[in-house]
Amino acid sequence: MKNSSESKFFTYRVINTLIMFIALVIVFSLFTPRNIFISVRNLASLGKLVPDLGVVALGIGILMVCGEFDLSISSTLPLCSYIFASALFGGLSPVWGFVLALLSGLALGFINGLIVVKTRMPSFIITLGTMMFWKGILYVWSRMMPTSIRTFIPTDSLFQKVLTGSIGPFFPVQTIWFVAFAIVLGIILHFHRFGNWIYATGDNQEAARAMGINTNLVKIICFMIVGVLCAFAGCMQSVRLGSFAATQGVGSELRAMAACVIGGTSLRGGIGSMMGVFLGILTLHILDNGLVLMRVPVFGVNAFIGLATIFFVLLNSYLDRKIK
Amino acid sequence: MSVTRVKLRDFLVTPSTNVYLVLVILVLVFSVFSPQYRFSDPDNIEILLSIGLEFSILALGVGLLMICGEFDLSVGSILVFSAYVFLKLFETGINPFLSLLIVLGVGALLGLTNALITVKGQIPSFVTTLGTMMFWRGFTLLLSGGKQSPCDVSISPAFLTMLNGKIGNIPVQTIWFVAFAIILGIILHFHRFGNWIYATGDNQEAARAMGINTNLVKIICFMIVGVLCAFVACSQISRTACFTSRAGEGWEFKAVAASVIGGTSLLGGIGSMGGIFAGALIISIIENGLVVMRIPYSWTYVVFGLVILFSVFSNAFVQKQSRG
Amino acid sequence: MNENQNRQPLVRMVNIHKWFGRVYALRGVDFEVGQGETVGLIGDNGAGKSTLIKILSGYHRADRGEIYFEEHKVNITSPRDSRRLGIETVYQEQALAGDLSIARNIFMGREPVKNLGILDRKKMDEESMKALEELGLHLKSPNLPVKTLSGGERQGVAISRALLFEAKLIIMDEPTVALSVKEVREVLEFIRKLQKERIAVIFITHNLYHVFDVADRFVVMARGKKMADVKKEEISLDELSELVVKSALVE
Repeated sequence: MKNSSESKFFTYRVINTLIMFIALVIVFSLFTPRNIFISVRNLASLGKLVPDLGVVALGIGILMVCGEFDLSISSTLPLCSYIFASALFGGLSPVWGFVLALLSGLALGFINGLIVVKTRMPSFIITLGTMMFWKGILYVWSRMMPTSIRTFIPTDSLFQKVLTGSIGPFFPVQTIWFVAFAIVLGIILHFHRFGNWIYATGDNQEAARAMGINTNLVKIICFMIVGVLCAFAGCMQSVRLGSFAATQGVGSELRAMAACVIGGTSLRGGIGSMMGVFLGILTLHILDNGLVLMRVPVFGVNAFIGLATIFFVLLNSYLDRKIK
Repeated sequence: MSVTRVKLRDFLVTPSTNVYLVLVILVLVFSVFSPQYRFSDPDNIEILLSIGLEFSILALGVGLLMICGEFDLSVGSILVFSAYVFLKLFETGINPFLSLLIVLGVGALLGLTNALITVKGQIPSFVTTLGTMMFWRGFTLLLSGGKQSPCDVSISPAFLTMLNGKIGNIPVQTIWFVAFAIILGIILHFHRFGNWIYATGDNQEAARAMGINTNLVKIICFMIVGVLCAFVACSQISRTACFTSRAGEGWEFKAVAASVIGGTSLLGGIGSMGGIFAGALIISIIENGLVVMRIPYSWTYVVFGLVILFSVFSNAFVQKQSRG
Repeated sequence: MNENQNRQPLVRMVNIHKWFGRVYALRGVDFEVGQGETVGLIGDNGAGKSTLIKILSGYHRADRGEIYFEEHKVNITSPRDSRRLGIETVYQEQALAGDLSIARNIFMGREPVKNLGILDRKKMDEESMKALEELGLHLKSPNLPVKTLSGGERQGVAISRALLFEAKLIIMDEPTVALSVKEVREVLEFIRKLQKERIAVIFITHNLYHVFDVADRFVVMARGKKMADVKKEEISLDELSELVVKSALVE
C-alpha cells in the first residue's frame, strides 16, 4: 500500500492535496461568473499575490518537517519590509536596502532558533512571544503609518522589474521567484544531505543526535530560512504595492501553516514534501480567490481556511493510523 | 548544589510571592508615574475593575486549561460568536436571562468542539484552536456582514445590573471575577477533579495509567473556557450596548500571557488559581496603566511579548534545575 | 563458543564516577570488554547500566575516571568521538526515525554525497541492501519506511547500520524488549553473526534468558556499583539469577 518513505517527493499525502487542487481548479473554472477564475487577468493577478505568502510558506514547510513552528512570521515580514523602507529613506540604494532587509530576516530567524534550542520550550510559545514583541517594536517605530517608497523605486527601474515585473504582458516575475525558491528548497529537502538531517531531526531528534547530527544547528538554520524568506516576501510585496504598510503579513502565520497542512506536512515533524507544500499553497490561494470571485464575502473565506486546516490535519492523522 | 539555587527556583515557580509582588509594584509604579496620578483616580479604578476585568475572567479559564496541558487560541473567536448569538436571540425578543443561558451553552459547545478535535483527532491544541479561531470569527463575520449592531439590554434592568452594575462602589464584574476565581480555585486546589487536572498536565501517561480519564478532564477544561468566553461576551455586550465583530481580537495571546505571568508552566502540570488570578489582573493593569500614562498601545505588544519570553526563560531554567 | 585469544581488552573503563545533580549514578565502576567478546550487562533500573554505556558512547561525560580503547587513553566527548573509535550503539526505540526509509536511516548523519552535498541515492540504496543481506535480513526495498518493519527487522536495520560503519564494538541497549519470541530469535541470530565477525558486543538487559545464550561474560550492576563479573563457563543460569537478585538486595 504505502511502500515509499515519507521523505519522498511524491507521497500519498501529496496525492490528496493534488486531488483537492485539481478539483478546486475545475470547480472554480466552471462555476465562477463568466469563468472569470481562469481568465488571464485573474491568473496574472494570482501570480502576483500568491508568492507573497507562498515564499514564506515554503520555509514554514521546511521548519515543520524539522519539527518546529514559527508564529512570528506575521511580525518578521512587515518588520523587514520596514527596515527596507527605512534604508531607502536613509539613502541606501534599493539593492543595499534589500540586502539589509534580508540580513535582518536572517537575524530574526536566528534569534527564534536560538531561543528554541537553548530553552527547549515549545516553539509556538516562543514565537508567540517574539511575534508580539516585534509587532510592538514595529508599531512603535513605524507609528503604524504606511510609507510610500515609490520615489525610491521608480516604476521602470531594474530593481523593480527584477523583483516584481512581468515577462511579456502577463507573466509575473514573482511567480518565477516562487517556483525558483520551491525548486531550490525542494532539492535541499529531498536530495541533499542536509534535507536528510531535517527529516531525521523532525522525526526522531534523539536518534538524529545519537547519529551525530547537530539538531540544534539544523533547527536554527531552518528558522533562519524562514526569516530570510519573510524578508524577501516583505520587500517583494512592498515594491509591488509601492509602499510599506504595517498590516503586511497579517494572518500569515495561520495561512502558512494551513497551506503546509493542506500539503500533507505533519504537525509532529518528519513528514512533508516540498511538492506538497507548493500544492498546498496553491490550493489555499485558489480556495481564497475562487470563493471571493464567487461573491462569498471575504470574511467567510477565513472560516473556510480554518475548516480546511482542521479537515486536512484530521484526514492525514486518520490515514496514518489506518496504515499502521 | 547551593541553597541559593534552590531558593531562586522556588521563587520562580511559586506564584504567590512572585506574582503578587509584581502586582503591587505595578500598581505603585503606575500610581506614582501616571500624569496627575490618574491611575489611582477612583474613576480609573472603576474602569479597571469593570472593563479591565472582563478579560481577566476569561483568562482564568485559559489558565486552568494550560495547567491540564492544553492551549486555546480561539477564545476571542468563541467570544465574538457567542456575542453574535446573544444579539440574535435578543433581537428575536427572547428574555435576556434565557438568552444568556443559551449562549453559555453555545460557549460550552464550542469548547467541546475544540476538545474533541484535540483529543480524538490527536492534534496539538494550538493547531486545533488556530483553526477554530479562524473558523468561528470568519463565520461570525459572514453572518453579521462585519457590521456593528445595537443591543440595548437596558429594557431589563435586572439583567443589566447583574452583568454591568455596581454593588456599593464595586463594579459587578469584579465580584464575578472574584467569584469565578474562588470557585475554580476550590475545584483546582481542593477537589479531586483539580488533582486530575494537575496529573493530566504533568504526565498524561501516568495519569491514564492511574485510571484518570484524561480525555474527559481536557474536555471539561475546554468547556469551562468556552462558557467563560460566552459569559464575558454577554457581559461585554450589555456594557457596550452593541455588538461588534471585532470583539475579543487579540485576547488569546493576552490570555496566554496572563497565565504565564501567574506562574503557569508552559508544559502543563504547574500553576495555581492564585497565580492566574494575579496574572489576569496584571495584564489588565498593564493595559490600563499604559493608556493612562499616554503610552501608545503598541507598547503593550512589546510588554506582553517580553512577558511571554521571560516566562519561557524561567520555565527553561526551572526545567534545567529539575533535570540536574 | 568464542575464543578470546587476544589478551588486550578492547575497552577498559576505570573508576568511573557520575553525578546527576544530587544523584550519585555511578560509584567508581570498572568495566572491561575484550576484543570480539560479548558481555551481558545486567541489572535493575537505576543500576547505572545505561549511564555507563552512555558515557562510553559519548552521550554523557564521566565526572571522574578514565577510558582506554585498545589500551590508549581516550577522551570521549560526543557521540561522534565514540563512533570514530568504532563504538556504535543500538538504542531501543531511539535509534531509528520511523518515517524515514531504511536507506536514509542507515546513512543518517553519514550520508554519501555527490557534488555540493547532493545525496548519492544509488550508493545509499545499494550499500544498505548489502549491509542488510550480510546480517541475513532480506527486505524488499531500501525505500521502505522503517515504521512498516517488525520490531526484529528494525533491530536488524540498526545493527546493520553499526556493521556498515565497521564497528569494533556494538552496544545494544535492551535489544529484545517488546519483541515476539520469533523476533527475539532473529536478534540473537544477528548477534551470533556479529560474533562470527569478531565484533565485540555489550548486551544490556533485564532478561537473563536472552543474554545467557549468547554472552561470553556477565557483569552485574546495582545502585551504581559493579556487583559481579563472571565468565559464562564459571556460572549457570540459575546461579546467575540468584546473583542478580542478591545484588539487588544488598545495601
